[in-house]
Amino acid sequence: MVTKEEIMKIAILSKLFVAEDEIDRLTEDMQEIISFADTINRASDAEGDFDSITGLSNALREDEVVPSYDRERILQNAGDSDDGCFLVKNIMK
Amino acid sequence: MKYELVAGFETHVELTTNTKIFCSCTTQFGGEPNTHCCPVCIGLPGTLPKLNRKVVEYAIRAGLATHCEIAEISKMDRKNYCYPDLPKAYQISQYDKPLCEHGYVQLSNGRRIRILRIHIEEDAGKLVHRRGDTLVDYNRGGVPLIEIVTEPDFRSVDEAKEYVEKLQLIMRYIGVSDCRMQEGSMRCDVNISVRPQGSEQLGTRTEIKNMNSITFIAKAMEYEYSRQVDLIESGEKVVQETLRYDDATNTTSSMRGKEDANDYRYFRDPDLVTIHVPRERVEEIRASLPELPEEKKQRYMEELGLPESDALLLTKYRRIAEYFEEAAEGTNNPKTAANFIIGQIFRSVETETEKEAFDVAVSAAQLRELIGLLDSGKIRMNLAKATLDKMLETGKGALELIDEKDMGGLDEGALQALCRQAIEANPKAVADYQAGKEKAVKAMVGYVMKNSRGKADAAQAEQTIIGLIKNA
Amino acid sequence: MSESMIKAYHRLLTEKKLSCRELTQAYLQAMERDNPALNAYVTPTPDTALAAADAVDAKIAAGDAIGLLEGIPMTLKDNISTDGIRTTCCSKILENYVPIYDATVWELLKSQGAVLLGKTNMDEFAMGSSCENSCFGGAHNPHNTGHVAGGSSGGGASAVGGHLAVYALGSDTGGSIRQPASFCGVVGLKPTYGAVSRYGLIAYASSLDQIGPITTSVEDAAVVFDAISRYDEKDSTSQGRSGEPVSSTLAKGITGMKIGVAKEYLDGVGEDIRQSLEEAMKQYESLGAEIVPFDLPSLKYALPVYYIIACAEASSNLGRYDGIRYGYKAENYTDVNDMIKKTRSTGFGEEVKRRILLGTYVLSSGYYDAYYKKAQNLRGSIVAAFEKAFAQCDVMLAPTVPTTAFANGSAVSDPVETYLTDICTVPVNICGLPAVSVPCGMDRQGLPIGMQLIGRRFDEEGVLRAAYAYEQISPAFPKAPFGVTL
Repeated sequence: MVTKEEIMKIAILSKLFVAEDEIDRLTEDMQEIISFADTINRASDAEGDFDSITGLSNALREDEVVPSYDRERILQNAGDSDDGCFLVKNIMK
Repeated sequence: MKYELVAGFETHVELTTNTKIFCSCTTQFGGEPNTHCCPVCIGLPGTLPKLNRKVVEYAIRAGLATHCEIAEISKMDRKNYCYPDLPKAYQISQYDKPLCEHGYVQLSNGRRIRILRIHIEEDAGKLVHRRGDTLVDYNRGGVPLIEIVTEPDFRSVDEAKEYVEKLQLIMRYIGVSDCRMQEGSMRCDVNISVRPQGSEQLGTRTEIKNMNSITFIAKAMEYEYSRQVDLIESGEKVVQETLRYDDATNTTSSMRGKEDANDYRYFRDPDLVTIHVPRERVEEIRASLPELPEEKKQRYMEELGLPESDALLLTKYRRIAEYFEEAAEGTNNPKTAANFIIGQIFRSVETETEKEAFDVAVSAAQLRELIGLLDSGKIRMNLAKATLDKMLETGKGALELIDEKDMGGLDEGALQALCRQAIEANPKAVADYQAGKEKAVKAMVGYVMKNSRGKADAAQAEQTIIGLIKNA
Repeated sequence: MSESMIKAYHRLLTEKKLSCRELTQAYLQAMERDNPALNAYVTPTPDTALAAADAVDAKIAAGDAIGLLEGIPMTLKDNISTDGIRTTCCSKILENYVPIYDATVWELLKSQGAVLLGKTNMDEFAMGSSCENSCFGGAHNPHNTGHVAGGSSGGGASAVGGHLAVYALGSDTGGSIRQPASFCGVVGLKPTYGAVSRYGLIAYASSLDQIGPITTSVEDAAVVFDAISRYDEKDSTSQGRSGEPVSSTLAKGITGMKIGVAKEYLDGVGEDIRQSLEEAMKQYESLGAEIVPFDLPSLKYALPVYYIIACAEASSNLGRYDGIRYGYKAENYTDVNDMIKKTRSTGFGEEVKRRILLGTYVLSSGYYDAYYKKAQNLRGSIVAAFEKAFAQCDVMLAPTVPTTAFANGSAVSDPVETYLTDICTVPVNICGLPAVSVPCGMDRQGLPIGMQLIGRRFDEEGVLRAAYAYEQISPAFPKAPFGVTL
């Protein structure tokens, strides 16, 4: 059973607010999805540890410097910036 | 009751690769905020990490230098937590398959500090709080780190200090990090608990985070040890928590309880593929490791006959050891080179950075030349010392500074003549000597040394003068 | 049978019967006229398109040879990063985000002279099967605008099916290219995982995502696939593809090819669809292929395995949207943490939040082993089952979707019921296999039906050859009443 408390806990981990009036419906939805996910527990234990689809290894890069981006471009999409930094303003000020 | 300290270390060491762990931005320290950044290291949507080969190699070097086993198969995992200095909201790290495991660092008291694991991961950016505003700089974000985790094997603050110094020394020797604690390229978290002496059970531990000076580590551990002992003795309980050390007040305080209970939800990073370390590669890296400080020190003592104190001083920085070995090579007595370096050349390097670079005015080859002159009897020790001082001042070679006529010893006749002159010029000293003041002869020896421009042998001159006075 | 539009336009351009500007303008005008009905495009890029077209015309005027894709008008799904062009994933949280770099696929196509008409509609962060989870409203089906285009690459399928672009690039995590292609009566290829670079594709689920083409013919799908399947050093999981271009192997025929049909794929499939598939099997036999029936019992776990893995990866991939570096940022907050939570709670839509929560749940301590780890192990079993199946056959034939396009607004009520429609498409992503959806009929409502051909890893050639052979003998299905006509 998925509980409201669990939903609140994972909402905090996910950095999401769950409003009071949403919590019941969301818990219900999650319960339904989790019951659906639970069907896998009817499968007998699967063989082996799944590694990856590609089976690739050692995709490595040489240690050679490439010039970084202009700071203007780096900051271009930021809502706020100051002194060359990304900025989260203190709105309590 | 007596209480025993039990501590373990988690040390973050920044690797001195040219580029970041997952992109090709420079790792250079400093720089204007956000000028060492690209779409990958600020976590723009759609970007992907590509692992730096050097990071894997450096971590293996660090593992081999601390006697670790190197994993044949390793992988990268995501450690999920949301904080503004972490642009992807997960740190790419290693969870259950670290590159290195089960090593140790040997302490001088014979105890071994076991290394549980060494793994690679990315550093976070830097937050600056200004009047309540939060400013974020990602220059450091993505700089490669190794995290070296020990077992709770420390029993004293001195052991902890020695361990940190040793680790610093080893990492610098093998060239994987400069370990500059003040710049944050080496940072320690310490787990501490106390227990009654003789008890086998571990007490409740606290963790002091992010310390970047050996002095602070020692002070923080001492403070925390007393605090825990006081708590227990007054019947209270130690609470398992994360602490911050405040050097201004020399106290530890609880880090404000974050709203989130930590649950990092580790899982394999699907953007990165398996790391496979062939055994031949491990052996190649092992073979390429320089002689480590501990081994070097032993060799200096056993093979070169240096006293332990000298061996220690010469092996503390890799460049100094290299300098010493080059200067002493082919000379009669390595101790001479050691004395010159420790006695005179060390005066020109003061800071840690200077010692590390050991960029001194006299090259090792120049010092070897000077020692050669001494070995072949062309000059005497006094002249050699004076010349070395001049060499350090001017950067010139010994042969440029010593006149041809100063070379070579004084022949018997010349020494006799100079000693006679000394007796004639110092009647008072002669009288004093004859009156039983044996030290008076030194003044006359000094005269001989000065007037022979250091070429005379002081002991020989003294014998000659005494003989002349007695036979007068 | 469908002809290659790319080749037809290429001929007109090189024979100077049509300038690239005229061609591009025809598409831009059609877009202006028909997009309000289809809502396929969310960001048209007419200036970019015309500038590219003029460059191609200049080249032709100078007597230089042009490549096959040079001057061909196309679109990109709005989760493929385009330097200087807004890329939103159809989410409020990225409403004003303008990338500062190009996705590798776009870099490749741009360098081959592609004419970008605009960015196309999708379910927010590619999460959905109807395109209705888009902050711009859903894209509609060109065969009946009262029905959805499908999802998540609904905009691309609607644009190609509605002749508002010659081809589109979409992304497929659990069927997001094939399902809308099937709904809109076009061809959609999901390449082998690793064949096409993911660099610049805004991630939904990294181990499942793959970019591929949506076209009006199998040959065009092969041409575009050949152009984008390159090894990319920026993507550690990229392998590219070597050997002969797939487009030059299509006509080799399929005599003796073994086409596997798993009965589990046909469970619960609509009657019209089943009939179309049976018809297709007969046609394959008439072409000299052999139909091989077999069982794939582990298929029943594919859907929950898919949702657990996809949501787990998504919950981590979407953690970065915190309002600090890019995208929407909440305005009234008390501190940084509050700002991040408000930004995410307002910026993400319902389905995205639901999947983030599910993903966080299955990775959290206490549940990791029961869900995430178990799902990973089952993924291994499903991979093994498909490998075994491919020892008996060369390609597999399956429906693409158990239904045809749903009516607008009918898909959103129950999350699990909606997830169930992905049953036929997700196994391919779980196993990283190539698969193509090709039109194979119309249902009694006049909506297109699609079927899938699934192949071994990196056997795009086999998959497309089988699709091409079928396409050559299949009747011409009705065209949608929109867009550019030659």
